Amino acid sequence: MLETLKRTGAVTGRVLQQLKHDKRLLVLSTVFPLIVVYFIKVIFDVLASPGFNISRYVVPYAGFLVHFITFVLTAIVLVRERTAGTLTRMFVSGYTHVEIIGGYMLAYSLLGTIQSLGVIIEINLLFDLGFETSRLASIYLVMWMLAVISMALGILVSNFARNEGQVFPFIPLVVLSVILSGIIAPVEQLPDWVQFTSYLTPLFYANEILQNLIAGGVLSDDWTSLVSLPIYGIAVFILARLTLREMD
Amino acid sequence: MSNGTAIEVQELRKNYGAVQALKDISLDIAGGQIFGLLGPNGAGKTTFIRLLIGSTKATGGSISVIGFDPMKQKSALRAEIGYMPQDPALYEDLPPWENIRFFGRAHRLENLAQRVDEVIEFVGLTERAHDPVYKFSGGMKQRVSLACALVHQPRVLLLDEPTSGIDPKLRESFWKHFRELAASGVTILVSTHQMDEAHYCDRLAILHRGSLLAEDSPNQLLWDSRAQVKIWRDGQVDKQTITNYPDQLPGVLQNYGLDKTISRIEIAEDNLEAVVLRMINEREAQQTKEAGHA
Repeated sequence: MLETLKRTGAVTGRVLQQLKHDKRLLVLSTVFPLIVVYFIKVIFDVLASPGFNISRYVVPYAGFLVHFITFVLTAIVLVRERTAGTLTRMFVSGYTHVEIIGGYMLAYSLLGTIQSLGVIIEINLLFDLGFETSRLASIYLVMWMLAVISMALGILVSNFARNEGQVFPFIPLVVLSVILSGIIAPVEQLPDWVQFTSYLTPLFYANEILQNLIAGGVLSDDWTSLVSLPIYGIAVFILARLTLREMD
Repeated sequence: MSNGTAIEVQELRKNYGAVQALKDISLDIAGGQIFGLLGPNGAGKTTFIRLLIGSTKATGGSISVIGFDPMKQKSALRAEIGYMPQDPALYEDLPPWENIRFFGRAHRLENLAQRVDEVIEFVGLTERAHDPVYKFSGGMKQRVSLACALVHQPRVLLLDEPTSGIDPKLRESFWKHFRELAASGVTILVSTHQMDEAHYCDRLAILHRGSLLAEDSPNQLLWDSRAQVKIWRDGQVDKQTITNYPDQLPGVLQNYGLDKTISRIEIAEDNLEAVVLRMINEREAQQTKEAGHA
């Protein structure tokens, strides 16, 4: 067990070192969401009528942004490992599936933490949401969980792509999730079969919790969604573990 | 230097769908040997190595690498083998020191930092140990890749075309490294499509389209090669093709009788490349003939 933790730490350390050297990627992945949030603010300034509840949309959109960027980033980086042959080399050196996936997720969790934190601070300032610290912390926790799930999803998708280009057909699935999650239209009003697909997206559970928090509730109000999110993450992690191949 | 069988392969088969990548290969590789896997691109060399490291499952047959089954005893085996893939497979934004340390950390090495320094010195990169790999030439990357495979002092080294795309001088230095390692008891299986490298090996297996055409020492393969003898007598040239010319040539000359009418003798002996190409051509002709009969 201790050896597994050490080797997981080795993978995390190496990924973080690479991120440190890849300043362009680091800056883009942390600054890009902030720029998009700013443009959302510009659009809402034009569209929103007085009395419009901006936070109902802005907070889940921000969550989606982190979800989307983390997903794409993780998928591409893992595919790059595969095409460069370093994934096979890791396996042959003795790293296990769990150590590799776990190591990646830990490293990118740190990036997800920075992204989520930056986005939350920005929306709170730009949109003047007026949330107290505990509510912001709860929103942050949901966004962070979503970011971690995005990594597991990214790893899962990367297992079915032989090169970076093959990741792109999966991107519409993530974009589709924002439509199905209830952020734009209430899920209950969608046709039954579409409602079923909504339950397959992590953004649905995150949005349920976020809407409750925005409306003044607390995390414990919606236990079902709060528990569903980590279960969803664990299920995707297991699927990613089962489908991660040493080589094509 | 030989100490028992290190790698034993019996009737090994590997299919990718309808394609037979390896067809009933049987080989024994002795410990401490440099064993060359020779063959053109697509011969099945990489597939063979991937089966030995347990990265892909055989369709049939059995494999034992230092007593381990690559699929059933993967982690025990991987602690004892070093693998150098065809492409360098390195983290290019990290320096050699970090790359080697990362792959070394998968093994429980107490003296990892010391071992990293040692292998970097072994491949002659001490001065560039902390420069990012993306600044390196192809040959330097191959040296880093070799160091990654050596860090945990493996008993068996599996090298997939390690000298592909590097200059002749560096190639020679690689083979010097392999010799040193074999002398210390490491078993080395090295694949190559460059025929001129064959003479560095203790034994050779020649693969073509997944089939084993021959397995022997380079000298023995050449011993069985053909030589063309041209004898000029009274302005006429007489040509004869013989095999095993050190034994058969005296007989040829005796038949002619060595008198003053013989003005010139030329002997053109096959090199290993010609031997291998002839084997391939003969196999292809045989397959075409069999297909015609079917």
